[in-house]
Amino acid sequence: MKILVCVKQVPDLEGRFVPNAAGTWFDESGLAFRMNDYDEFAVEEAVGLRERLGGDAEVTALSIGPDRVVETLRKAMAMGCDRGVHVRDGAAAERDPWQVASMIAGYARSRGFELILTGMQSIDRGSAQVGVLVAELLGFACTTTAVGFSCDGSTATVERELEGGAKGVVRLKLPAVVTCQLGLNTPRYPTLPNILKAKKKELLVLAPGDVGLEAPLAAASGFCRHERSASCLVLEGGADDLAGRVVAELREKTAVLRRGGAR
Amino acid sequence: MQDTREIFWNVGYGSIPVMYLLSLAAVAVMARGFMKLAEAWLRGRPLDRFNRAGERCSRFISETLTQKRVLRVADGGVPHAGLFWGFTTMFAGTLLVMLQADLLTPLFHVNLLSGRFYRLFSLALDLAGMLAMLALGALFVRRFLTRPDGLESRREDWLIHLLLFTILVTGFLIEGSRMAATEVRDNPGLALWSPGGLLVARMITFMGADALRGLHRGLWWFHLLIALAFIIVIPRTKLRHLFTTSGNSFFAPLEDQGKIETIDMEDERRERFGASGISDLTWKDLFDADACTACKRCQDRCPAWATGKQLSPMKVIRQIGGIASGAASDSLVETVTREAIWACTTCGACQEICPADIEHIVKIVEMRRSLTLMDGEFAGDEVRRAAGSIEVNGNPFGMAPASRGAWAEGLPVSVMARDSKVDILYFAGCYASFDPRNRKVAESFVRICAAAGIRVGILGHEERCCGEPARKMGNEYLYQTAARENIAAFRRYGVGHIVTACPHCFTTLGQEYRELGFEVPVEHHSTFIASLVERKRVKLASESFDFTWHDSCYLGRHNGVYQEPRTILTGAGGKLLEMALSGRDSFCCGAGGGRILAEERSGRRINAERVRMAMETGAGTLVSGCPFCLSMFEEGLSAGVQEPAMRALDLAEIVAARLR
Repeated sequence: MKILVCVKQVPDLEGRFVPNAAGTWFDESGLAFRMNDYDEFAVEEAVGLRERLGGDAEVTALSIGPDRVVETLRKAMAMGCDRGVHVRDGAAAERDPWQVASMIAGYARSRGFELILTGMQSIDRGSAQVGVLVAELLGFACTTTAVGFSCDGSTATVERELEGGAKGVVRLKLPAVVTCQLGLNTPRYPTLPNILKAKKKELLVLAPGDVGLEAPLAAASGFCRHERSASCLVLEGGADDLAGRVVAELREKTAVLRRGGAR
Repeated sequence: MQDTREIFWNVGYGSIPVMYLLSLAAVAVMARGFMKLAEAWLRGRPLDRFNRAGERCSRFISETLTQKRVLRVADGGVPHAGLFWGFTTMFAGTLLVMLQADLLTPLFHVNLLSGRFYRLFSLALDLAGMLAMLALGALFVRRFLTRPDGLESRREDWLIHLLLFTILVTGFLIEGSRMAATEVRDNPGLALWSPGGLLVARMITFMGADALRGLHRGLWWFHLLIALAFIIVIPRTKLRHLFTTSGNSFFAPLEDQGKIETIDMEDERRERFGASGISDLTWKDLFDADACTACKRCQDRCPAWATGKQLSPMKVIRQIGGIASGAASDSLVETVTREAIWACTTCGACQEICPADIEHIVKIVEMRRSLTLMDGEFAGDEVRRAAGSIEVNGNPFGMAPASRGAWAEGLPVSVMARDSKVDILYFAGCYASFDPRNRKVAESFVRICAAAGIRVGILGHEERCCGEPARKMGNEYLYQTAARENIAAFRRYGVGHIVTACPHCFTTLGQEYRELGFEVPVEHHSTFIASLVERKRVKLASESFDFTWHDSCYLGRHNGVYQEPRTILTGAGGKLLEMALSGRDSFCCGAGGGRILAEERSGRRINAERVRMAMETGAGTLVSGCPFCLSMFEEGLSAGVQEPAMRALDLAEIVAARLR
């Protein structure tokens, strides 16, 4: 069984985000990069599935971006992916979800993948569209926000997170695309022997043109920083009166007291 | 009459071959015992501990003969030294008798054991025997009657006491019966030189000559057999420490006791890292287990044990010994337990006090390496997150690397990328870079340098965590990744002199980076400031205050810096009130060994314990020279109270506040 797992390298959110010269995206200088959190869940699930299935199951990790993304691909391979595919694209950060999906589908088409796992979204762009679009382009079944997953080689059973803490179960015939949500698993920490082995694993480098890059459908035209508004509130008064006001504030301005919302 | 004695009197020369044959047999049985032990030692990995043999030999002789490591603790140590010196003297005396009887008399017809020398010889041996008796008595009382906390006695301890006691008593009885039958009657002047024997002789002179001879002959053989039994049980009981503990004063490392092996990441044949089984440890680690006498001094000083955690350095060593001598397949980690392995602060108190020169830290770090590098395990999720942050952001907090130099904005500090013409590179470290409390220490240091006219540079956004906490937690790969990036940055700017306010950075940059090919002088800010003060580059206004100085493990025990900070602080008007545990006996703050990254989940808090010790001095200020210690003390002092009873400061803050 051939499994494809899509990983994106994203900036660490502690960094300072300022608009780039064109004002269309953020300036990358000074930022630290790492694997998108949700994609780590996808890698863990793919590698775990391969271990459970045994036999000739194999996992390919794919990433699109400049040369720095090789670091993330090596990490995916250190976690257990068998090989890596790097679509070298210096402009990847500004591609819209349609373009990214077109490249992934272009690579996956006719390569015999039966299962494609992605994060449910990236922590930087956060469109949550890429996995779904890939499924559509390939004609695969698809479900999103997986928090539970099992697969017997021909069918995948996915537990999905619904709003308000409820869960739903979906059964898909392979081939399928599943996007992964927090809670699905705990990604492993790569062991040293696997880190060292990953350095020698096969890494295929392709150009966007090789994998059918399409023209953008929804190009970003502006980027601005989040301006933090003051969120500090000082309540004064006696204990008898304060408790009720705290509850009222929480009920009005936050979700913590809503049913099913306390997570 | 000539002052001498007839060797083998009453025993008969015919007995000599029998005696030698029996002795040889006993030595052979002893050797077989040691060979069996050696088989277990050789299951460990190779390690060169025979280099610089001259230095090792002189340490072996001085540590063993002076008993100085044993004497570090008077309780137990003083009687042990007495017993050692007593028996050593008697052993030397016995060898001299052998030399006289079987070499000097038959071949050279010279009697060394006569006249004045014999009188002194007799006195020395009698006193040695009495000293040994006294010491053995004291040890008996301690082990079996007063029984200090944590001292574990087993059946072999009874056996050893019984053997030693019997050897000493029969020795005096033999001497006494011989003297009663000969010397006391024939040469009473000489008898006075053997006070112990004379005392016994006087008690048994009532017996007839034949009875005395019979008693003497019987006891002589009994004494011989007991002595041979002693030789035989040496490798089979704790008595093996006669060879292994003294042997360790030869084999102990010549460098810092906490030094751990730098793993060669380029070695492609290597697939196992750290110690999950006995064969992953070195032969010295296994030898250490046989050098341990379970004196529990390490356990008495271990901050983890003292605060109710599962780690006892002594038990770890004995568990390793247990696996090495028994079932080899037993997992180290399961036997020692994860909780014990992660609890160590690598403070080195155990190694510092160990009379057997045992290296505890390397074993624990090797077990951690196995957990981390082979199994991807951590002391907790928070440590895992911190490791991820060091990997991505270059600091355990997950702060943006671009803001690492932000603390120095507006201060007289140049970022190397902009201007690298500096006198020193200040390696701020993660805490001074990001932790608001420790930023004040960095600012103080910069102000001191400015006052001294020293140009300070920092790497700023190019600086990363030195890697120490990750390394001590077993994550050698992460450490080396961080280290190599720092080294590349140092080289980029041709850095020639590094100063850091963190003892962990200091040890790592100054000693451990050396193994990675980086050799530039690295100084801790305490010695750097001390030399500025001494050379009068800065002048301080003396302002009186009382303080206690906390010797950080990686400044004191691991690097031997004890005096400079005290000199600076007393010179600045401070009155030093020492804690009971100070200097090389200092008690860890709880943050060493990567524990700074971990939650303290079991037992009482180590920092609270240390803060309590500091408060007992009555000093108003607790001064240290380590960001980890400072953070731990700030937390310990403010726990549950609004107005802390004392202030925690870094020495640089005290100096900066008194700049003239």
